[in-house]
Amino acid sequence: MKLLIEAIGFGIATGAVIALGAVGFSVQFGISNVLNITYGSMMTLAAFVGYAFLQLNVNVWIVMAITSAVIGVASVVFNRILLEPLKRRGTSFVGIIIATVSAAIVLQYAIVVFVGATAHSFGEQSGRTLTVLDLVFTTSQVIIICTTVALMVGFHLLLTRTKIGRAMRATSTNRTVARACGIRTERIIDFTWLLSGAMCGAAGVALAITTVSFDFTLGSTFLIYMIAAAVLGGIGQPYGAMVGGLVVGIASQVAGAYWSPAYQDVIAFVILIIMLLVRPRGLFSAGAVTRRLANT
Amino acid sequence: MPTSSAERTGGGGSALATRGLVAGYGDVVVVHGVDLDVAEGRLVTVVGPNGAGKSTLLKAILGLSRVMDGHVVLDGDDVTGQPLELLARRGIGYVPQVDDVFETLRVSENLEMGGYLLDKSERAARVDEVLEIFPALKPKMRRYLGTMSGGERKMTAVARALMLAPRVLVLDEPTAGLSPALTRVVLEEQARALASHGKAVLLVEQKAHAALEISDWAYVLVRGAVAKSAPAREVLADPDMAEIFLGAAVRDGGVK
Repeated sequence: MKLLIEAIGFGIATGAVIALGAVGFSVQFGISNVLNITYGSMMTLAAFVGYAFLQLNVNVWIVMAITSAVIGVASVVFNRILLEPLKRRGTSFVGIIIATVSAAIVLQYAIVVFVGATAHSFGEQSGRTLTVLDLVFTTSQVIIICTTVALMVGFHLLLTRTKIGRAMRATSTNRTVARACGIRTERIIDFTWLLSGAMCGAAGVALAITTVSFDFTLGSTFLIYMIAAAVLGGIGQPYGAMVGGLVVGIASQVAGAYWSPAYQDVIAFVILIIMLLVRPRGLFSAGAVTRRLANT
Repeated sequence: MPTSSAERTGGGGSALATRGLVAGYGDVVVVHGVDLDVAEGRLVTVVGPNGAGKSTLLKAILGLSRVMDGHVVLDGDDVTGQPLELLARRGIGYVPQVDDVFETLRVSENLEMGGYLLDKSERAARVDEVLEIFPALKPKMRRYLGTMSGGERKMTAVARALMLAPRVLVLDEPTAGLSPALTRVVLEEQARALASHGKAVLLVEQKAHAALEISDWAYVLVRGAVAKSAPAREVLADPDMAEIFLGAAVRDGGVK
C-alpha cells in the first residue's frame, strides 16, 4: 500500500510536468493544425537554456520564467520561418509533420554541437519534503504542480473568458471565415505559438529540475508521454491533455513501482495504442469541449 | 462595345471596383486586366465557363490570391492586396463557396463570431437586426451548423457576414451543391434581397441563368478577361452569349 501511495505521489508530480508539456503540444495542434514533433527538442533546448541561466546563479524559478519566454519566442520564429512558408506553398499535413521531425533531429544535434552529448544536471533543487494526505512531495514538486495548475486555470480563463480566446477558437475552427470576421488570424497564430512555446519551455525546465541528470535526448524521450497524454485527452483539447497527463504520469509510475522502471515508457505506448484503437478522438470528444468553449 | 463606369453602376458611384486587375498564382496569370464596378443597392454577377478565372478574380479582390497589376478600390480608397481581415474591418463581407460557417458552433455562436469586432451590447443589437433580415433563423438559433441543411447553412453564412454591417457583400457561388428549388431561394431571398437592403452585392455564380435573372449587371468572364459587360437581362437575351459563354455552364448542371 505504501508503495502504491508513493507511486501515486510521484505520478502526480510527473503528471504535472507531462500535463504542462501536453497542453502546449495539444493547443499547438488544435489551433494551428500542426502536429509539431520538434516540440520535444524544444523542451531539450529549454533545459539547456535554463542550465545556462542557472550557471549565472539565477534562482531556478526565475530561470523557468525566463526560459519560458525564450522558448515562446523561439517557437513563434520557428513557425514563421519554417511552417507558415510550407503551409503557404500548400504542403500537406503529413509533409509538415515530416518537416517537424527533420527539424527536431537538426535541433537535437545542434544542441550536441554546442553542449556536447554528456549528461548535465540542475543539481539539488528538491528542497524540503512535504506530506499531503500520506503523499510525499518535495518542495520543487509542489511548486511545479502549483505552477501547472495555475497555468491550466489561466489558460482555461483565457480561452473561455477573453476576446482573444474566442478568436483562438474561431481561428482553429475555420481560418478563412475567422479572417472574414475581421480576426487577425496571423497574430492569433503567433500568440498561440508564443503561449504553447512558453508552456514547452516551462515543461522543459520542470523536467530538468525533476530529473537527476539530462542530455540532448531529454525532450525527444519525453515526447511520447506528452503525445500519449494529448491523445488520451483528445488531441487539440487542452483540458483533455491535463487529465491525460495526470493519467499517463500515475500509470507509468505505478507500473514502474510494481513491475520495473523499464516498463514506464511501455505504459505510455500501451495507453497510446489502446486509445487509438478504442477511442481515437480521446476521452473528451471535440464536440463537448468546443461547445463548452463556444458557450462562453 | 465598352461601357462606362456610370452605366455599370446604374449612375451611382462604385462601392467596390477593380481597374486593370491582373492576378494569378505563383507566376501563372489567370485574370487579365479586369475592370469591374459594384455600386450600393446593385447586384452584380460574374459568370463564365469553368476555368474562366471567376474564383481567382474574387480571391484577388479579397487579398487571397496574388495581384500582379492593377487596383482594387473600395469607397475610393486603393485596397489592392490588403488582407481579408482588414477588408472585413473596412466594410467587405465575404461568404466563401465551401467551408463558409463555423461548423462546430451553434447558429447563435456563428453570428456572435461574425460580430467579433463589436462590443457585447452592439453585438446583441446587431444579432436582432440580422434576424429581422433572416427571420427563418430565429427558431434555429440553438442548432449546430453540422446538423443543418445546405440552404440553412448558407443563410447562416450570409447572416454571419452581415454582422459587421458591410457595405459590400461578396458571395462566391452561394448555390453550389444546392437543389434547383433552394438555388432560387438563395438567389432571390438572399442575394437579391441584400441588394434591395442597399448592399453592393458581388456574386460569382456557376449557375449563370438563374443568377442573371435576378442581377442588375453582368460580367461575362472568358479565359480571365471580360468578354461582355452589360445589363444582366441583355446578357440573358443574347443568344450568342448564352451559347458561347454560358452554354457549358448551363449544361453542367445550371438552372434554367
